[in-house]
Amino acid sequence: MTLVQQSNATSGGSGSGNLYDVLELILDRGLVIDAFVRVSLVGIEILKIDVRVVVASVDTYLRFAEACNRLDLESGRKAPSQLTDLVGDMTENGAKGKSKGALTGAVEAFSESLQGKSGEEPEEEPRKRPARKATSSRQTQRREE
Amino acid sequence: MPTYIYAITDAGHPLPLNGLHGVGDPPSELRTLRSGRLAAVVSDAPPGLRAKRRDVMAHQSVLETLMAQGATLPMRFGLVGPGDDEVTAALDREADAYQERLKELDGRVEYNLKAGRDEDDLLREIMTESDEIRQLNERTRTEGSHDDRVALGELVAREVTDRGLKEAESVAARLADAADRTSHAEPAPQQFLNLSFLVPRAETDAFVAAVRREAEERGDAYSFTLTGPLPPYSFV
Repeated sequence: MTLVQQSNATSGGSGSGNLYDVLELILDRGLVIDAFVRVSLVGIEILKIDVRVVVASVDTYLRFAEACNRLDLESGRKAPSQLTDLVGDMTENGAKGKSKGALTGAVEAFSESLQGKSGEEPEEEPRKRPARKATSSRQTQRREE
Repeated sequence: MPTYIYAITDAGHPLPLNGLHGVGDPPSELRTLRSGRLAAVVSDAPPGLRAKRRDVMAHQSVLETLMAQGATLPMRFGLVGPGDDEVTAALDREADAYQERLKELDGRVEYNLKAGRDEDDLLREIMTESDEIRQLNERTRTEGSHDDRVALGELVAREVTDRGLKEAESVAARLADAADRTSHAEPAPQQFLNLSFLVPRAETDAFVAAVRREAEERGDAYSFTLTGPLPPYSFV
């Protein structure tokens, strides 16, 4: 199993390392007061649309078909012994690498859209981070068993 | 000057705002508005405010500090009222509802759980259990047309979606007893679960242990990311 446990999003040495995992809570949940306005969140809507469009598109179908075609049915499940007990030794490994990639990808869309529209202070906006770095920022809190 | 709103609390909340700052560049100064039994933490709304990292972090930091000291209703990022008077009036207007919610959330925190499954592991299961998909897969491997591949992918996509929903239900059902309430949200691509839990502060250890057990039992094809304690964004 892999369980990454994170304390809150802004404390700890990793700075905003966990912010991406709670971004949609901060931007999309929380209390609103009727009749008050919200600042423009260009890019956030794009992030949400992306998720739905991606699931039901020919591109997705072709990607699934390709993944099935190259699937090695004989290889079976990974044996538990392949699980590493070294903290941080799963940087690009298996599901974790993939799911992190997806999250990072979503944030990229968000970030690029913001940059495209505003053009001001790009260094201040949420930025695309290399997957490896994203993973390493969590290693202190990773728990594996 | 428009007023940016971070949170609503009871008037008796200690409101520890020292060392914190608000959204904007330069960072805006936090202040408190009070009305009867309620208080709101606000700042001036900087012109041209966007959802930049710095601002989202500032918003989140204010809420994390407040929630550690007492019941807090977290506002959604970016909520702006026309001015202080209108914010105070809104507190008055909804005072009973806000107080009720503060009472419900007192001593409770949010945890967010995201879960995904290794795609090859899932595809292998689908392939094993569906003759139609397995045969279509064999055909497209050797000669199949473009249409065959699209058809294969569409069948697989449907299975992936259906199985993801079932797995989400199953995880949610097994963890439901460890939390007071739950709230589903759209999972990220390649994940099947994005679920928030409202957990009494006194029971967070037991909750985290329950999540760990669940992750262990699912095996190494699954990855779980648990984040918390968080302000109860999903339960206001």
